[in-house]
Amino acid sequence: MIDLEKLRDLARETISRDDVKYLIGWKPGTHGFRISPHFVSNPEETAELIFSPLCSNNLATYLTLTEKRPVPRGEQPDTRKVALMVKGCDSRAVLQQLTEQGITKDSVYVIGCPCEGVIDIKKVEGKYPGILDQVEARWENGKISLYLPSGKVEMARDDIVAEKCLTCRYPNPVIADVSLREEVEVKGNNTFDDVKKMEAKSTQEKWAFWQGKFNSCIRCYACRNVCPMCYCEECILDKTNPTWIQRSVNISENTSFQLARAFHLAGRCVECGECERVCPVNIPLSHLNRKLVKEVMDKFGFEPGVDPEAKPLLVGYRPNDKEDFIL
Amino acid sequence: MKLNKDKLADFIATLPGKKVYGPKKSGETLKYAPVTGAADLCLTAANTTVPPKSVVFPQTETLLRFELGTTDIKTPGQESETVLLGVRPCDARAMTIVDNVFSWGVEDPYYLERRAKITLVGLACLEPCANCFCTSVGGGPASKEGLDVLMTDLGDSYLLDVLTEKGENLCQSASGLLINATGEDQEAAEKLHEKAASQISRHTDPAGIPAKLPHLWESLLWDTVSASCLGCGICTYLCPTCHCFDMQDETEGSESRRCRTWDSCMFSEYTLHASGHNPRPTRRERTRNRINHKYSYFVDKFNVIACVGCGRCINLCPVNIDLLDILSKVGEEAR
Amino acid sequence: MSENFEPNVVAFLCNWCSYAGADLAGTSRTEYPPNLNVIRVMCSGRVNPMFVVNALQQGADGILISGCHPGDCHYMEGNFFARRRFALMKELLDFVGVDQRRFNMSWVSASEGAKWKDVVGKVVHSLKEAGPFEEFPRNKIDW
Repeated sequence: MIDLEKLRDLARETISRDDVKYLIGWKPGTHGFRISPHFVSNPEETAELIFSPLCSNNLATYLTLTEKRPVPRGEQPDTRKVALMVKGCDSRAVLQQLTEQGITKDSVYVIGCPCEGVIDIKKVEGKYPGILDQVEARWENGKISLYLPSGKVEMARDDIVAEKCLTCRYPNPVIADVSLREEVEVKGNNTFDDVKKMEAKSTQEKWAFWQGKFNSCIRCYACRNVCPMCYCEECILDKTNPTWIQRSVNISENTSFQLARAFHLAGRCVECGECERVCPVNIPLSHLNRKLVKEVMDKFGFEPGVDPEAKPLLVGYRPNDKEDFIL
Repeated sequence: MKLNKDKLADFIATLPGKKVYGPKKSGETLKYAPVTGAADLCLTAANTTVPPKSVVFPQTETLLRFELGTTDIKTPGQESETVLLGVRPCDARAMTIVDNVFSWGVEDPYYLERRAKITLVGLACLEPCANCFCTSVGGGPASKEGLDVLMTDLGDSYLLDVLTEKGENLCQSASGLLINATGEDQEAAEKLHEKAASQISRHTDPAGIPAKLPHLWESLLWDTVSASCLGCGICTYLCPTCHCFDMQDETEGSESRRCRTWDSCMFSEYTLHASGHNPRPTRRERTRNRINHKYSYFVDKFNVIACVGCGRCINLCPVNIDLLDILSKVGEEAR
Repeated sequence: MSENFEPNVVAFLCNWCSYAGADLAGTSRTEYPPNLNVIRVMCSGRVNPMFVVNALQQGADGILISGCHPGDCHYMEGNFFARRRFALMKELLDFVGVDQRRFNMSWVSASEGAKWKDVVGKVVHSLKEAGPFEEFPRNKIDW
């Protein structure tokens, strides 16, 4: 059970700190099951904050997404912290950004929110379409309760949560300056069954599957923009000098795009699942990224975003790294 | 006139020499693709994710071709006659809105030739989606604007309302399959249309907005609504009235082509100058521009709001930036 | 697949070891298949995994990356980084449905002219069996 009063008190305390610029959390969206990221600059605005099974947005992406506007002459840039509410997977993203030095520790104040699993919006909107009134959801009695206009519906957790939650080993934030509530039980473990299933297919079957998916890609870049690990100022995916990937949309460029992004996440993807959630044409991006998550685990015993002392994977090596693929 | 549903496949077969596009499922995504028969077509309640603008204004289009070392420039061949089946009234209206841009000043031969050869067979919406608001912006679930024929699903048949000469010609070639519709059929269709219009639950009043927007240039409203924006292209690429494009020269070996691709004003490099200066440096300016373009600048130029209320941007925005929410904030904002 | 199929192989050879080794094979008048298009790089660690994807897009049927033996890199560590990177790239390509035979990596030192002949022979032979690359080359796109 989430104590909303406690959450809002905590938020009020945080936003009143001298060293906090603004706080990013979640609030109910404009309709149905939707949630909006909420940017809070003063104590009054904390009244709308919530934390519920609907809060799937990974807010860590805003730490690197927010543009720095040129500072007027004579003014100093505002270097105060951004306070961020994070679930377990989101906190891994923050930690990974820190180990990569994409952000500095003194620029963020982390509010840890242990999470029991978030709802897959496509599943729930498919089951209960057309609802415009704001819906509430709660973690209750080990299940997920939906408070629909027609009444309360209890659902088994595994039936309605996002796929990423079924294999989640980090429901409790790995980094936090303050925690919203007590730690929750770890419910998932990573056996990579989904990846193994694809690996077992023949080369032709694999290509037939991915070709179908990559053909749908409209190159909207939502996956890249939402990803907390994609924050290069000049991204290889839309650079024009040199042009790695042409602007035209066809199977060749789309495949190159997806391979480039997946590879650039090798050893960095924290499995937050946002890429797959935001894709408007339902490409199973998490599935693609998890292949490399598995390889990185198997070959190098590495998991991004859990060890604050770890060096990023590809800036290091071991003299005895496997080389059975080398002729 | 009426077409019985079991004759739909035959109807499609009467369109030889014409490319037929209709809503088709590609995995779980509904979009416009070539259909060969009625089995391919997916005429469900929900509208497609990718609007039919993808047929008349393709995401990637070759403008001209050339080979290194030569001076010939080859332009694309003739467009073929095309029929778009199952187009929703909002999407058809959107095409008439976009036509303004491609025939303004310089006439775009690529777009206009393709457009002239397209016949739009519409399907009235009988179950509007939660976020549809076509009735607030001059449209409706059975609006005829831009369509050549409007079909209404009467259960076991479609009522056909022929609206233009193109529509007439199309139905001529299928005349053997069509049967007469009765006055009752017409009434049944009208009742369905009215019911659909009454089911639209989201509304906005755009009356004062075009005049008000220029006064809200410095408003903090834009900071609020753009704070969570990811700067992706979902709203623009999937919007039936959006029409921005980029042109690139692509070379492969000794063959080269100039192509046109969709572009989005929400991308950070959209207004990036070669000098490095960007007049719309953050998502605040770009969001402000997008709303102003659709609800103010377009109205100034062409006297129509460049939004047809299809609701795709609201459905698909990953961070729940809701156009209707923005418009209501604009309405509430003091001048 | 036609018996006359000659695969196009793009090979990235590190300047100090593999390129020199290939050179030695040449000056020793060794005979080996001529299907390689060699691109000399200073170190195998310089090779960006996107080069592999880009080469496939541009019409390569297979890729070979060859560098110094681990421990012997002219720049001390370049080949260690390359080894990690390409261990992962190979898996990713395989997962997406690109034939495993299309991506190859080897360690060939400056004195291993004979090994070079073997490596090239192996790579070209397996590519002849794999056939032309048809999954996503640019020349298959209907402009």
